[in-house]
Amino acid sequence: MSRSRRPDPWIILLATMSAGPVLAGLVFMLLYSTGQIGLLAHGFTLHYWRVVLDDRQTWITLAYSLAMGLASLGASLLLALALQAALGARLRRGALRGLLFVPLAVPPLVAALLSVEVLGNAGLLARLAHALGWIDQPGDFPSLLFTPSGVGIVLAHMTLVTPFLLLLLDRLGRNARVADLMQVARTLGASRWQAWRQVCLPVLMRAGMPVLSVYFIALMGAFEVPLLVGAQYPAMVSVLIQRRFSQFDISTRPEAYVLASLYACLAMGLLLALFAWRGRREAGERAA
Amino acid sequence: MRRALAWILSGMLVLPLVLLVLLSLARHWTWPALLPADLQLRQWRDLFADANGLGTVVLRSLGMGIGVAVAATALGFASSRSLARHARQGRLLALLHLPFAVSPVVLGVSLLYAFLRLHLAGHLLGVMLAQLVFAYAYAVILLSGFWNPRARSLEELASSLGAGRRQVWLHVLMPLARPLLGVCLFQTFLISWFDYALVLLIGSGQVATLTITLYQYFSSGDIRLAATCALLLLAPPLLALGLNQQLLSATIVTHLEAHDDD
Repeated sequence: MSRSRRPDPWIILLATMSAGPVLAGLVFMLLYSTGQIGLLAHGFTLHYWRVVLDDRQTWITLAYSLAMGLASLGASLLLALALQAALGARLRRGALRGLLFVPLAVPPLVAALLSVEVLGNAGLLARLAHALGWIDQPGDFPSLLFTPSGVGIVLAHMTLVTPFLLLLLDRLGRNARVADLMQVARTLGASRWQAWRQVCLPVLMRAGMPVLSVYFIALMGAFEVPLLVGAQYPAMVSVLIQRRFSQFDISTRPEAYVLASLYACLAMGLLLALFAWRGRREAGERAA
Repeated sequence: MRRALAWILSGMLVLPLVLLVLLSLARHWTWPALLPADLQLRQWRDLFADANGLGTVVLRSLGMGIGVAVAATALGFASSRSLARHARQGRLLALLHLPFAVSPVVLGVSLLYAFLRLHLAGHLLGVMLAQLVFAYAYAVILLSGFWNPRARSLEELASSLGAGRRQVWLHVLMPLARPLLGVCLFQTFLISWFDYALVLLIGSGQVATLTITLYQYFSSGDIRLAATCALLLLAPPLLALGLNQQLLSATIVTHLEAHDDD
């Protein structure tokens, strides 16, 4: 609780450093994209907004980013849940305990590089397939990278996200004493599957939902992985913004700002909705 | 069955590191060989001889990371105290997540114009300031976990015994928070060390860091030097993992504390 009426300078700094750049950037992008500032400023216009909003690629890119975020998180979560159910306490024993932290030390750029070297047509998996006599040449190996389906993006993200989620679920499970709850369920006659599905899973999902939601927003705006292993079309939103922004022809710059503004509003809307939902949930729990 | 699965998973976690080491040492590794035909140390010799300017790039990236980490941790520690005592902690936490939600690319393109006007674009300081936005937010979230009832009561006890504000910070709070401050310094260092998007946009091709150099080698097809850069990027966090697992496990704790419903 604030004790003095004078504004706390550290809270002012906090608000300035976190919301300041984001809001200032958003205002700048709105002004630039409506022709009021910048090299292409010729007075107020909604021309660039109309161009971007009428462009099918805009909506495809936003939907594709949503889909890639969901697919990456969903697949990683499923794998993490399956591994947690299969390995249980073994996750905290032996070499695996330390090795699970290794992917946390890998930046997305390196994960993308590794994906090319492992999943590419001449990568390690293709070489293994050749050694086993399954394929004759690189072209025979199924294309996993640079495809519109985004399999490469999802797989690269899975290598980064799954170990993190596995550690997170393990920590959440211990915090919520899931093992004890499952033991009670088993004592009351539930099968192992029933205890996991009806006790463990709901507890973990409820506790993990806020973290997972923030992670989803971050994955939606991923840049390095889709830049290196994604398809030329459709592109994820960060890649398309950077591409339009960095083109030699500066006339595409206002369009990049329109797209960036749209995405910023979408991401901020999702984040604020998440925090509002959390606030309501906490208030409901306190009232109960 | 469980044991076998644990071994398979362990192998899969180690494999990428082995692959990077082999790539950085390979002279010839043509299709369809499973292992390189010939190994060499040229990439590493070039690195230590600074033949490609890589040594300079590493030093620059290190300097940037250390600068960002020190500034973010110092500012974040003081801010986290105010955050922990604030009535609207939830709303402030939402604000702290904003930069991460809009993504570094969007923030980079939206701030570039202002940075150009301030003559900060294309400069080391400009890139570090942009990285500081993310590192500071992360530091505040991580360090807000420090201000538990025990820290507060010790702070109040020292004050009631006559310690001045500066003395309380220097002789009570900072020694108490030293382990967490170490974790924070390391994690915020990694935010700068791993950053690619902000260096690309705010650096405008004028600031070469390890991530930018890695991408350049990768896009020019020199996978061996790209792998060497990748290993250099992984070196500090892996070293930290070997020394103190807590330095990396803080990522999990930060996420949980930022979203703790209790």
